[in-house]
Amino acid sequence: MFEARLVSSGTLKKVLDSIKDLLNEATFDCSDSGIQLQAMDNSHVSLVSLNLRSDGFDKYRCDRNLSMGMNLANMSKILKCANNNDTVTIKAQDNADTVTFMFESQNQEKISDYEMKLMNLDQEHLGIPETDYACIVRMPSQEFARICRDLAQFGDSVNIQCTKEGVRFSATGDSGSANIKLSQTSSVDKEEEAVSIEMQEPVSLTFACQYLNSFTKATPLSTQVSLSMSADVPLVVEYTIPDLGHIRYYLAPKIEDDDN
Amino acid sequence: MGITGLAKLIADIAPWAIKETEIKNYFGRKIAIDASMSLYQFLIAVRAEGAQLTDANGETTSHLMGIFYRTIRLLENGIKPVYVFDGKPPDMKSGELVKRAERREEAQKALEKATEAGDQVEMDKMNRRLVKVTKEHNNEAKELLKLMGVPYIDAASEAEAQCSAMVKGGKVFGVATEDMDALTFGANVLLRHMTFSEARKMPVQEIHYEKVLKGLELEPNEFIDLCILMGCDYCDTIRGIGPKRAYELIQKYKSIEEIVKNIDKKKYEVPENWNYERARELFKEPEITDIETIELKWTQPDEDGLVKYLCGDKQFNEERVRAGAQKIQKSLKTATQGRLDSFFKVIPSSTPPSLKRKVDDKKSSGSAKKVKGSGRKPK
Repeated sequence: MFEARLVSSGTLKKVLDSIKDLLNEATFDCSDSGIQLQAMDNSHVSLVSLNLRSDGFDKYRCDRNLSMGMNLANMSKILKCANNNDTVTIKAQDNADTVTFMFESQNQEKISDYEMKLMNLDQEHLGIPETDYACIVRMPSQEFARICRDLAQFGDSVNIQCTKEGVRFSATGDSGSANIKLSQTSSVDKEEEAVSIEMQEPVSLTFACQYLNSFTKATPLSTQVSLSMSADVPLVVEYTIPDLGHIRYYLAPKIEDDDN
Repeated sequence: MGITGLAKLIADIAPWAIKETEIKNYFGRKIAIDASMSLYQFLIAVRAEGAQLTDANGETTSHLMGIFYRTIRLLENGIKPVYVFDGKPPDMKSGELVKRAERREEAQKALEKATEAGDQVEMDKMNRRLVKVTKEHNNEAKELLKLMGVPYIDAASEAEAQCSAMVKGGKVFGVATEDMDALTFGANVLLRHMTFSEARKMPVQEIHYEKVLKGLELEPNEFIDLCILMGCDYCDTIRGIGPKRAYELIQKYKSIEEIVKNIDKKKYEVPENWNYERARELFKEPEITDIETIELKWTQPDEDGLVKYLCGDKQFNEERVRAGAQKIQKSLKTATQGRLDSFFKVIPSSTPPSLKRKVDDKKSSGSAKKVKGSGRKPK
């Protein structure tokens, strides 16, 4: 028996919105410690890693480990049927081939059930090594979304350069070029507006705009985002989901010359 | 010509071993292409009003057209193709080659008959059956590839065997061919429909050797025996045993020796001097060019060279050739997107996909049919 309840279905909607751009379907691995999801997009350029801790749920029960393959478009249809302040409960039997979403209105006067067929997906799981990143940039998530959106107009890829002084995003295209530089904020009144940089050594990496823009669909989940970078390894974009867990996106960099 | 009915058998029994994806998902991958098969495909498919494209002297140029534009399409998708040409056919293949020559003769006769009768449809059909890839075609294709800056390799013997060895040795990601015997040679990844025309909107089929073995529940040796039983290019088969029966027999008896011992000889006639052992050896240890000596390099195209070669006697449109050359150049210049799976290792999945998947069942039977007749290779 598996059962997980969240007081507000709005959070679950936001989580789903943050992954359905990249993935058509995904396996939710449920265990005692919570719900996990790891999946690459079709082209194997980016990877989504979602972790929802069991203690973040209002009620959580998972007797046996369970992998539920879901079609995210169908799941999204179901969640559209819920109001943001409805309570949502996800239920499944052990070895079930369906999952049930139950929405309860705040005053308990309306209860709706939606049952969805599960899929058996054989997805490749990737082992992600622990890495000490050369640079970790923390910045307001909305600012990051804005930068990605703006730069995408100029080119297919964004170059991110990180030094002690600040972080520079740039894009070049046929029509011209764009540069955005953010400096570390010196005094912080509001924590969510801070830009901070932890740097071991400077890095400069290039990434495809298209994927960065898909990642920023997670912006509503968190006020801050962190970008972790090292030379020649995938970028990690992390959003914390308050009191519940986190979502991490990994993105393979563009490689200038690959003769070998 | 591959293995008779293998694609359908896999689609029926182990549909999850076949993955359908878009060509653009292969960016950054190096892919070995069975050149003879592609040339044959182009000679058949690239036509205007039923006739092959020809130059001023009446020489065919369909194959060059195909190589030029389809290769550019691959490059534009970020794929790094390497063409592998057939060397001398193995002795074992002579029987098959004689058969093919006979079939051509028949087609020739049928063509004459159809011409006499004025049957346009039949004439067209027989004309296509008569298509043969000649040495000139091969040499012209090589010349063109050289000008395009795309590498090619001359196999010691069979191109599929060479391609498969290159995959196994990690030189390339997969083999692009329509012939299923690349799997029998043990290529980890077989890609079908890679060089098809864009207009056909055919998804690329990715077939994994490991998954095929797992799905059919066979050991590599049993799989080779199964392919021989189903019908390969190198020896005869037992008359009356089709793909399904062959599969059942292999599952039961595990090897051809045991099958021969146990089947009803009156019902099924084992061919005389049946040389399945040699065929088996050929699949296991084919004659190949040492892959360590192979160096793959994609270089700048020679634009003027291409124009000179294609636009002179061969009557290609100069503007289009120049545009093509620029596309090649651009594909070399743009930074290639890295693949995540080259940074993080895939953890082997602990659970084999169970049989309850409903999603794929529908697809498999359809896709097996589609493949029929799309690109066989007589030599």
